[in-house]
Amino acid sequence: MKDPVGGNQRRARFQALCQSLRPDLLRFAFWLARDRTLAEDVVQETMIRAWKAQDSLLDEGAAKPWFLTIIRREYARTFERKRFVTVDVDELIAKEEPMLAAADDQALTELRAAIFKLPGEYREPLVMQVLMGYSTAEIAAELGLSNAAVLTRLFRARKQLRVMCGEDTSLDPEE
Amino acid sequence: MMVCEQFRRAMLAEPSNDDAELRLHLATCHECTQYALQLRRFEGRLERALRVAVDPRLMEQRVVTPLRARGPRGARPWDPPHRRWLAAAASVLLGTAVAFSLWLAAPGRSLAADVVKHMAEEPNAWARTDIPVPEPRLDEVLIDSHVRFRLSAGLVSYASSCSFRGHKVPHLVVQTGSGPVTVMVLTHEALRSAMRFNEQGYRGVIVPVHGHGSLAVLERGPDMDIKAVEGVAARVQSALDWTT
Repeated sequence: MKDPVGGNQRRARFQALCQSLRPDLLRFAFWLARDRTLAEDVVQETMIRAWKAQDSLLDEGAAKPWFLTIIRREYARTFERKRFVTVDVDELIAKEEPMLAAADDQALTELRAAIFKLPGEYREPLVMQVLMGYSTAEIAAELGLSNAAVLTRLFRARKQLRVMCGEDTSLDPEE
Repeated sequence: MMVCEQFRRAMLAEPSNDDAELRLHLATCHECTQYALQLRRFEGRLERALRVAVDPRLMEQRVVTPLRARGPRGARPWDPPHRRWLAAAASVLLGTAVAFSLWLAAPGRSLAADVVKHMAEEPNAWARTDIPVPEPRLDEVLIDSHVRFRLSAGLVSYASSCSFRGHKVPHLVVQTGSGPVTVMVLTHEALRSAMRFNEQGYRGVIVPVHGHGSLAVLERGPDMDIKAVEGVAARVQSALDWTT
C-alpha cells in the first residue's frame, strides 16, 4: 500500500535537495558547456532524470556527485543528438559576456574568459576541484583517469591560466 | 628530500594539498613560501571566477517548476484555471512580501555578502583536517579583538587576522562532525537581530553578540543543515571569553 504522507515528505526533501544544489550544478554545467542556455537545458533534464531515479539515491550526502554524474551524461547526450560545428572561443566569450562579466573587477572577467579558453580536458577537472570541492581521487573516478593523469591536467590548467592572465610565472615549474 | 620544483608542481596541481612533506619544505624554503602565497591569492580569484552569478528566478522557472508540475513519478496533475489565478495572486503577494523583507534586511544582507566575498578569497581555509592551529597563534589572532577561544568547543584548524570592512578581524575555521565551519569575529559590526543567509554556495548565520558586535558562522556545500550551523554558532559564542 502506498504511503501518501511519507511520499510527500520524501518529495519535499528531494525538492529541497535540488534547490540547495542547483546553483553549483548550473555553474558546473555552464563551465562544461560554455553556453548558459545549454547549461540550463542540461540541468533541467538532469533534474527530471534525477526525479525519476530518486530511489537510487540511497545517501543524501552523496547527492552532489550523483547529480554531477547525471549532468555529465546528459551533456554527452547533447553531443550524440547534435553535431556541433567547430567552435570559435572568442565568439563564445562574446555570446556569454553577461555571465562572464564581474562588476568592478576587470581582472576577474579576464580570468573567466581565460577559463573559457582552456581545453575541456583541463577545464573540467579544474572546475570539479575548485568549484565542486572534489579530491583528486574523486575526479579520477568520475573521469575514468589515473590520479597522476588528473594531477597533470590540473597542473597544466593552472599553468595555462596563469600565463593567459599575465601572472608572474617566473617560479612556475616547466612541463 | 623534496626540491622546489616538486613542491611547486604539487602546489599548482592541488593548492590545498596539506601533505606533511610539502609543509616541511614550506617551512624551510622562503622562495616557495612566497610562491605558495602568490598561488593562494590566485586560487581565491579562481574560485570567485568560477562562481558566476546564476539567476535564481530563471532557475525557478526553468529547473524547479517542471519538477513541481510532474508530481510523483512524472504524473502531471490537472490544474483548474481558478487555481492558476489563485497561484498567480499568491505569487504576487509572496513576491511583495519577499521584496519587503529584503528591503528591511538590506544592511544585514550586504554584511552577509561581504562575508561571503571574503570567503572566496581564502579557499584553502576550508580544508578538512585534524591538525590544530598552535594555541599561541590562535591567541595572537584573537588578541586585538579582546577575546579568547576555549578549545573545548572544537578543533580550530585555521586562524588568520583578516582585513574586513577596514578592520582586522579574526577568521577561524572550526572542524565539526559535518565538516569545516568558518567563524568571523566581527566586533565592529553591530547587528540588531540574528540573520540567516544563503549566497553563492555558502550558508550561514550572523548573530549579534551583546556589547561585542556580531559573529558570522558559515559553511559551504550541502553537508550541513542551517539549524546545525546555528547550533555551531551557539557553541562558538559560548566558547568565547571576552577580556574587556
